[in-house]
Amino acid sequence: MLFLLPSRFRLLALLWLLSGPQTVWAQSGCMLSLSGRLTDHESRQPLPGATIRLLDTEDVVASDASGNYHLHVCPGVYRLQVSFLGYEPETLEVRVNGAVIRDFKLHPSAVALRVALVQGTRVAEQLPQATGTITGRELQQTRGQSLGEALQKVSGVTAIQTGPSIFKPLIHGLHSNRVTILNNGVRQEGQQWGQEHGPEIDPFIASQLTVVKGAASVRYGSDAIGGVVLVQPKSLRDSAGTGAELHLLGMSNNGMGAISGMVEGNARRLPALSWRVQGTAKRAGTARAPEYVIPNSAFAEYDFSGAVGWRKATYGAEVFFSQFNTKLGILPDSHLGNQSDFDLAVGRGRPLVPQDFSYDIERPYQQVRHDLLKLSGFVRTGTAGRLTTTLAHQTDVRDEYDRYRPRNDNRARLDRPELSYTNRTTTADLVWEHKPLGNLTGSVGLSGTYQSNRYDGRPFIPFYTNKVGGIFLIERWRHKQWQLEAGLRLDRRDLETQRAIGNSGNFYVATDQFQYTTPAASLGGIFEADPHLTLSATGSLTRRAPAANERFSNGVHNGRFDIGYDVDRPSGVPPLGPETAWHTGLTANWHDNPRFNGEVSVYQTYIQNYIYQVPVLPPPLNIRGVVATFLFQQTDALYRGIDASGSYALTPQWQLAGKAAVVRARDQRLDDYLIFTPADRAELSLRHDWRPQTGSRFSQRYAQVGAYGVARQTRVPTEVLDYALPPAGYVLLGAEIGTTVQLGDLPLDVSLAGSNLLNQTYRDYLNRFRYFTAEMGRNVTLRLRVPLEFSKKPPEAQF
Amino acid sequence: MKNNLFNKSLIGLLVAAPFFVSCDDDNDGPTPDESNEQITTVRYVLTPTTGTGTPVTVEYRDPDGDGGTAPTIGNLTLAPNTTYTGRLTLLDETKNPAEDITAEIQDESDEHLFVFTPTGTNVTVTITDRDAKNLPIGLQTQVVTGAANATGTTGSLRVVLRHQPEGKDGTPTPGDTDVEVNFPTAVR
Repeated sequence: MLFLLPSRFRLLALLWLLSGPQTVWAQSGCMLSLSGRLTDHESRQPLPGATIRLLDTEDVVASDASGNYHLHVCPGVYRLQVSFLGYEPETLEVRVNGAVIRDFKLHPSAVALRVALVQGTRVAEQLPQATGTITGRELQQTRGQSLGEALQKVSGVTAIQTGPSIFKPLIHGLHSNRVTILNNGVRQEGQQWGQEHGPEIDPFIASQLTVVKGAASVRYGSDAIGGVVLVQPKSLRDSAGTGAELHLLGMSNNGMGAISGMVEGNARRLPALSWRVQGTAKRAGTARAPEYVIPNSAFAEYDFSGAVGWRKATYGAEVFFSQFNTKLGILPDSHLGNQSDFDLAVGRGRPLVPQDFSYDIERPYQQVRHDLLKLSGFVRTGTAGRLTTTLAHQTDVRDEYDRYRPRNDNRARLDRPELSYTNRTTTADLVWEHKPLGNLTGSVGLSGTYQSNRYDGRPFIPFYTNKVGGIFLIERWRHKQWQLEAGLRLDRRDLETQRAIGNSGNFYVATDQFQYTTPAASLGGIFEADPHLTLSATGSLTRRAPAANERFSNGVHNGRFDIGYDVDRPSGVPPLGPETAWHTGLTANWHDNPRFNGEVSVYQTYIQNYIYQVPVLPPPLNIRGVVATFLFQQTDALYRGIDASGSYALTPQWQLAGKAAVVRARDQRLDDYLIFTPADRAELSLRHDWRPQTGSRFSQRYAQVGAYGVARQTRVPTEVLDYALPPAGYVLLGAEIGTTVQLGDLPLDVSLAGSNLLNQTYRDYLNRFRYFTAEMGRNVTLRLRVPLEFSKKPPEAQF
Repeated sequence: MKNNLFNKSLIGLLVAAPFFVSCDDDNDGPTPDESNEQITTVRYVLTPTTGTGTPVTVEYRDPDGDGGTAPTIGNLTLAPNTTYTGRLTLLDETKNPAEDITAEIQDESDEHLFVFTPTGTNVTVTITDRDAKNLPIGLQTQVVTGAANATGTTGSLRVVLRHQPEGKDGTPTPGDTDVEVNFPTAVR
């Protein structure tokens, strides 16, 4: 994308030279002057080479090097349209009965913002791995959803669901410890091992979500075997003034209301100083399946963030703080004591006690808080390159409340969570991007993590302290249409665990130390076959050291007993070893074509010593009888799949789009399928965009209908007990309409989206609550986005 | 140059910053879990009211709680054609001293129900205690035995405690299972 720009500019410059301000095909005889100047609304820079069209006569001119344009016309009323690549086109009506001057200040469009981000943060360098981005209108369509739910817009990304409110992203079938999430450039650290622990991030912070599909360990750390999710906020405002954005949202199914606001500013007196504050409040009631209310599925979320930055051309610094708070009700029917309760609940297949719609959140529930403080700075020097430092401290507090309070009144009165984890993580990163050496660009980085994890209440995972130090080098060689990237990384991990053994009468703490040195290497290539087709290939090797939960989980969680590999390991047997992943991927991307654009990506990930859970048969007894028990073991796993997505413009107004993803996952040692692999899925949509109409207060009107189909997962392990057969496949219908309404100075984005329009009863294989309840029924979402500009406007042409 | 010096000090600061990060040293280890309730021990004492049998005690005991060492499960042997009075005692032996859960259950008897299921042996269990709503509890029972088991055969008695803070209706359906133990049982 980046290196396409210069050629685009060249093309425009050529256009401008060819047409030139003097090239006027006005009716002869009329010589009234219609002229003006075109500038960027934010930077006030002139815009040369923009197209100015008289819609009534089809006369066209281009602006000159200073952004000026000049037309000669007869007296009358004309519709004047101005367009420029990367900016929102503008149309206005002009009455000409003398010489008229009309200036335009064009607003950068979403596409241009993305380009600005590319240059500003330097993260979006084209990667050899398949990537998916959600930004602009597509992101707007996900507003109100949780992060994991929104990411499913990217083909090949699904989510492990826990009821209607918890979504854990799955990339190519891999998740939890194997997916790294970067929140504003900081690795999200919390209790990410848990399948029912959704990412603790407010997606309203993001102006772009990017998913790197496939291993990206060299850049992002040795855990990123499955892929990386980048949550990228807009860069701080760099033009003087104060602006704001307000989102309002309502959902029909669960009565959810959400409000999210952002105010940002840049000091006129101190152009280097920028700031932003942002906050979100969300409240949802119980979700409704077609035949019943899903009990206790209400949730609440309150988040805020603030940033202050000082930015000069050669150096800059930023402080960022965010807090995420959520309280999530859990289906009581899923909170079970033992296997026979489980069998009964699965046999019922629907909630035992009917509930009315309610906003109350009762036990069982999760209460999660995540704080992030980030300090970052950069220095650019003419000779050395660019040096960036990021320091971050995160605190993640997760409290889980059981279905029933303790029997003892004194304890019940305290109303303490039965499980409570606190994770504190400090990360430090130092990256030096060297000056290009011929065709070679690259960076060297150091990263360090210090993490302590504590719990209170019922033991489940041990106390641990994790120290990680890493060094990496990535170099990229560019020549004509070719880019080659090679990377190396080395991490040293020191894990100390402290386990509680026995109980008050006979209690001691067992301390264990583990050290691992894990290398990673990657090689990738990008080839621009033509200006509209990019081919890329990637291959990588990653080693991931086992996490504390894989070693020492030991306890009951939601009617299921998890035992880490090292808990009952006989002496003499070596401890749990690291995973080694070999990833290869091939991607073809068709882009910037007038009609067909799309991407196909084929991948394979072979994970040697893949760490996973297998049931212990027969399950050990405890006082609640038989409790399904799972032990962490290692095998060799093979993940393979294809993602495809594409769009075809039937006419400039009608567009057909589709997506499909297929994943196959095999347990090589048992010669069997792996559990929790996403079923095959496909999506098809048809979209109509109305032509802009002059004089109308509605612009960017669109309507879309779509169908989303998921097949039954038939490739399930025979060796692993599942409580119920995978549910039947399903097809859901959705539709959306939207427009931008001009209310005075305010361009208001409004949209109405419906999902599961036929109110079908269905269950999804990846929902952990599919045994107990059907999915949400029909839902209609109303979204409103209001951009506000408070800065005093300089005198501008009034239309 | 002044600017150069400024830049150099900035670079120095950036490079040095990661090494100044203080690590909160939180070296306190885990402590015993005192805040959660567990049931580790189910004791069933049967006292004969007829015939010539002697009092019988049977116990399911897992003093280290979930996981760890496997539980010990006693055998219940009852005399034929005898009526017993049964009394259940539940303990949490992970606490020191052990906590008596029986009293808690008695206090919240309208939220608890024991379910007794004998199989393969001539034993009938009848709950004799009632809560405020006149629904059965099960801490106290009457156990009547019939003919002796066939030689070499052993049945079982399953004791289940249902915790039913909402909707206790005398049936086992509502709520969660807090205890499910099986005693090998024979009448001889």
